[in-house]
Amino acid sequence: MNSIRRRDFVRALGLSAASLPFLIGLPSLGLAAPARPRQRLIVMFSPNGTIPDAYWPNEEGPDFQLKEIMTPLAPYRDRMLVLRGVSNKVRGDGDNHMRGMSCLLTGIELFPGNIQGGSHTPAGWASGISIDQELKNYFQSREETRTRFGSLEFGVGVNDKADPWTRMSYAGPNKPIAPISDPYQMYQKLYGQLRDKESLQSILDDVREDLKKVRKLISAEDRRLLEEHEALVRQMEREVASARQQPLRVNPPVLDEGVADQNDNVPRLSRMQIDLLINSFVNDMARVATLQYTKSVGMAKMNWLNISDGHHFLSHEPDKNDEAVSKLTKINQWFCGELSYLVGRLASTPEPGGEGKMLDHTLIVWTNELGKGNSHTLDNIPFLLAGGGFGFKMGRSLRFDKVAHNRLHLALAHGVGHRLETFGKPALCEGGPLNLS
Amino acid sequence: MIRFFLREALAESRRMLAGGLWVSCLLLPPALSLAQTNPDLAGRELYRRECARCHGRAGQGVKGKYDDALHGDWSLEKLIRYIGKSMPDDEPGKLSASDTEAVARYINDAFYSREARARNHPARVELVRLTNRQYLNTVADLLNGFLEGAGQKTEESQPGLLGTYYNGRGFRNKIAERTDRQIQFDFGTNAPFPDKTGTNGFSIQWTGSIQVERTGDYEFSVLTPNGTRLWVNDEQKPLIDGSVSSGDFSQHKASVRLLGSRRYPLRLELFKAPKDPKASVVLQWKPPRGSAESIPARSLRPQHIASTFVVTTPFPPDDSSVGYERGTSVSKAWDEATTQAAVEVAGYVLSHLDALSRSKAGATNRMARLQAFGEEFVAAAFRRPLTPAQQRTYITQHFKRPLKPEESLRRIILLALKSPRFLYLGLDGMQRDDFEVASRLSFGLWDSMPDTALFQAARANHLQTAEEVSRQARRMLADGRARAKVRHFLHQWLQVEHVEDLAKDTSLYPGFTPEIISDLRTSLDLFLDDVVWSPASDYRRLLLEDDLYVNQRLADFYGISTNTAEQFVKVSLDPKQRSGVITHPYLLAAFSYQKSSSPIHRGVFLTRNIVGRALKPPPMAVAFKEADFDPTMTMREKVAELTRPQACQTCHSVINPLGFSLEHYDAVGRFRIRDGQRLIDASGDYTTDDGLVVKLNGARDVAEFAVGSEHAQEAFVEQLFHQLVKQPVLAYGPERLEQFRRAFVQSGFNMQQLIVDIVTVAALHHEGRPMARKRS
Repeated sequence: MNSIRRRDFVRALGLSAASLPFLIGLPSLGLAAPARPRQRLIVMFSPNGTIPDAYWPNEEGPDFQLKEIMTPLAPYRDRMLVLRGVSNKVRGDGDNHMRGMSCLLTGIELFPGNIQGGSHTPAGWASGISIDQELKNYFQSREETRTRFGSLEFGVGVNDKADPWTRMSYAGPNKPIAPISDPYQMYQKLYGQLRDKESLQSILDDVREDLKKVRKLISAEDRRLLEEHEALVRQMEREVASARQQPLRVNPPVLDEGVADQNDNVPRLSRMQIDLLINSFVNDMARVATLQYTKSVGMAKMNWLNISDGHHFLSHEPDKNDEAVSKLTKINQWFCGELSYLVGRLASTPEPGGEGKMLDHTLIVWTNELGKGNSHTLDNIPFLLAGGGFGFKMGRSLRFDKVAHNRLHLALAHGVGHRLETFGKPALCEGGPLNLS
Repeated sequence: MIRFFLREALAESRRMLAGGLWVSCLLLPPALSLAQTNPDLAGRELYRRECARCHGRAGQGVKGKYDDALHGDWSLEKLIRYIGKSMPDDEPGKLSASDTEAVARYINDAFYSREARARNHPARVELVRLTNRQYLNTVADLLNGFLEGAGQKTEESQPGLLGTYYNGRGFRNKIAERTDRQIQFDFGTNAPFPDKTGTNGFSIQWTGSIQVERTGDYEFSVLTPNGTRLWVNDEQKPLIDGSVSSGDFSQHKASVRLLGSRRYPLRLELFKAPKDPKASVVLQWKPPRGSAESIPARSLRPQHIASTFVVTTPFPPDDSSVGYERGTSVSKAWDEATTQAAVEVAGYVLSHLDALSRSKAGATNRMARLQAFGEEFVAAAFRRPLTPAQQRTYITQHFKRPLKPEESLRRIILLALKSPRFLYLGLDGMQRDDFEVASRLSFGLWDSMPDTALFQAARANHLQTAEEVSRQARRMLADGRARAKVRHFLHQWLQVEHVEDLAKDTSLYPGFTPEIISDLRTSLDLFLDDVVWSPASDYRRLLLEDDLYVNQRLADFYGISTNTAEQFVKVSLDPKQRSGVITHPYLLAAFSYQKSSSPIHRGVFLTRNIVGRALKPPPMAVAFKEADFDPTMTMREKVAELTRPQACQTCHSVINPLGFSLEHYDAVGRFRIRDGQRLIDASGDYTTDDGLVVKLNGARDVAEFAVGSEHAQEAFVEQLFHQLVKQPVLAYGPERLEQFRRAFVQSGFNMQQLIVDIVTVAALHHEGRPMARKRS
């Protein structure tokens, strides 16, 4: 249900316009099917490059075999699109990790700045908007696709530091968006108002009782004021009650308590964040989300896989270090497993008020800031698409010849009807959107 | 109603007594005509016959004839003269001299005069809700009460911030420490301590606190090509995070809402990376209604202070139609604001719960600690201890539900902040006890809740006598919140609270920049603080002093020779040219047009606020248009011309002479001797409310007249009373105002003493009932 309809609904309940601010937190109700099928985008990020031999399928076209890293996606092979040969061709200031990260979704150079990495020139923030935010703005600019948040930025194990290695979403030049890594903070953002409303409703009886008692203490002339106040409280009670009658499509997930934001909790945090993400989509709070695992140069120690080395440290090991390769394969496979969980949740959840399952209306892009960890190449960035709704022909493994990743971003924009001519650095958009249909 | 008649009858007989007529009155049955023997009754008959048609039987006015009620402050003599000359409207001069006098006397005594109005509408102490100012302050102090060192005054020290300098960008290798008065450095390609700094960049941390004067949004900005972070009143989350320098982007800005006359923690970090070519930093702010400037040293102190919670929920403006803000009405917008603010406060409490309740989530004592905190919070919010029944309603019942203790606490806080016991003042007025006295005192002096010492005094029943209450009042006067409130009053009195734009025509007044305006505001505040908080606290100095606070910028603009740089110093000016606040350039500029002085605005301000006369709204709207006049005319001539009609003259005969007395000052408050080519004429005949004519020539004459005028003194006392107590002074007895005034004069016009007198009387006031003396 779109926001115009919601306003009508509110009006039908006899609430004044003045009560609207109070009801803003209301989730959409999804009582009617949307005019055009919903489209959603999720960008999932994991860092430090991949192990190409354990990642890229050997075959091109619809008949392809999943390599070791991708095995968790086996049930969804038909819903996948593997894009080999897409490169981040943005150059300029900053080292490859930095540009890999901050140019990944922006497709444009970094500003000069004070962040020094490796041996390259220091750099600052990206000089343009990222594609997830571009799509969010596009959705939010239209009544029929507008949602309460537009986009949500989830993190898993991203540390507090703000620098070009930790930010991939940008609201505009010099405007990095910090992902929320703490699921409790995300919960508060999504459902805090609802909880406040519940708490409020629970105390209103007491407030009215209180006003009644107090009335006895004061002179007859002063009672008028308190009577007016009581009427306002009764009015609020009615409004809160009617707001509560409009249920969420699904209740907020019940989160495990006290899961601290720290390395060893990453597997639990990951699932909590994915559950919140799915939940927020079912309640139509946003149409765009990012899910960022750690950060570029991320040092997660995957003790749960019996790997006690830091991820970035391992990624520098040469190809001939079999042990490192095997560990890195396991690490990437673990990320793929989380992706599989996400895809699975979408595949098993009916599209609210629409046709099919949520996966039919949601496109997931799994990506990385590097092609390969020990070479720091920005070529062959592992781009893997899953899901549907953008008009792409899925179930294929495609091979391109070092095409600029800006063209993939253009394809995403065109996929939702946002017909951009260029995105990011215009010179890198030559050839237009990648043809994925 | 019965009470009203009794009072009326008593008043009537008193007046008769004064005329020596009461014996005959009492003896004569009312059926007999008294017209010949009793001029009061003759006046009434005459009024009903000749005047009531247009003015209404009780002088309330008649729609379409003469709408306004007959209320005013003319003397009886002036009333007689006016009626004799111009009434009745259709046939002036119809009434004989004795009839005119009789009808004027009747009008004056029945409804026209201030006394008559007070009698007809007896004032009372009303139940009021917290004003917005009071709400903000109370919430801040409520939470500060639970935190060590929040909002407390630090000892006086050198102004500036403590700068700690490090080698390298990581804040690890300390090389120096010093107090920096302002953060305004251009290190160029060098380092601050070149002999101690290596090639690996450097970092600096400035810490301390910032004092703000006005309540509102403060925009902070850091200008630097390097990395920087700034924290203001929140020690966890930076207000500005510019750790990444990026592109040409070198000015970081962010706003934060702060309450006036309080101090807040501030921390600034700067780090220069090895490859940053240069280093520089400026810390600026833009106070509400001020201009952007480098934060002055006088606002900075190197001592740390804890942060203060400031509610950001917007509230609808308070009713101030009676001349002071008060909470005598509620609205849906207000009720919603209190709800939203309660949610905001609960959110803050929940996220700072460990520090506030001194416990940890999941600890075995958590529930007990939260319950204890809840009890303390609610009692403080209600400003009195809870009864056992209240304890159940507000605390224990919520902890019994199958809820997490944190969620129970959230409900308790919402309930407390939505309760009338928090939102209203004077709910216990009918059974006043020491806690009620404590609240009246703290809201009177601070616009906030009592502090710990005052609560203790209430608990010990040490707020019983005027002497005990005054002692507390004097103690509380030294607090920043009292200064904030007094300043708030002075700004209202001088009508500078709502001045939005002082900008003038730039071709006529070049150099009158936003910075000058901001400096003038500071200059005015420094002067007000100086006078009020000196030991003598002499009101007369506010009007008569020839001093002006200036910094170098102001001194240059106003042609004052001094050498002061950024600091403000007090300079003594020619007493013929300057006389207290009424000649302060900030006020003079505020009461001016863009291109010229405005004797009307200045005159109205002096009439109402300085000499204390009531003025009605103008009978017709007349706009002043420069182009309508011969350009060779002086401003004085133009205004005299514009207000010549008889309908204007009823008020402008009073306004104009006062306004003209300030003609020696142009639109930016500079002294002048000519208006155009012509010499200034600042003379005028001012008719007092008693019908006396006072010859004025210039600002000092007005100031001296006001200082000596009982009426003006009374008006000042009344305005101060209303701003402090936010209740009508007449509710405290018909003689109260005059008592305050006399004590004020006797004390040598000591304003601090007057404030103490006022809040003491208001705190101990009781509505015709014996005071409840409950010793427990």
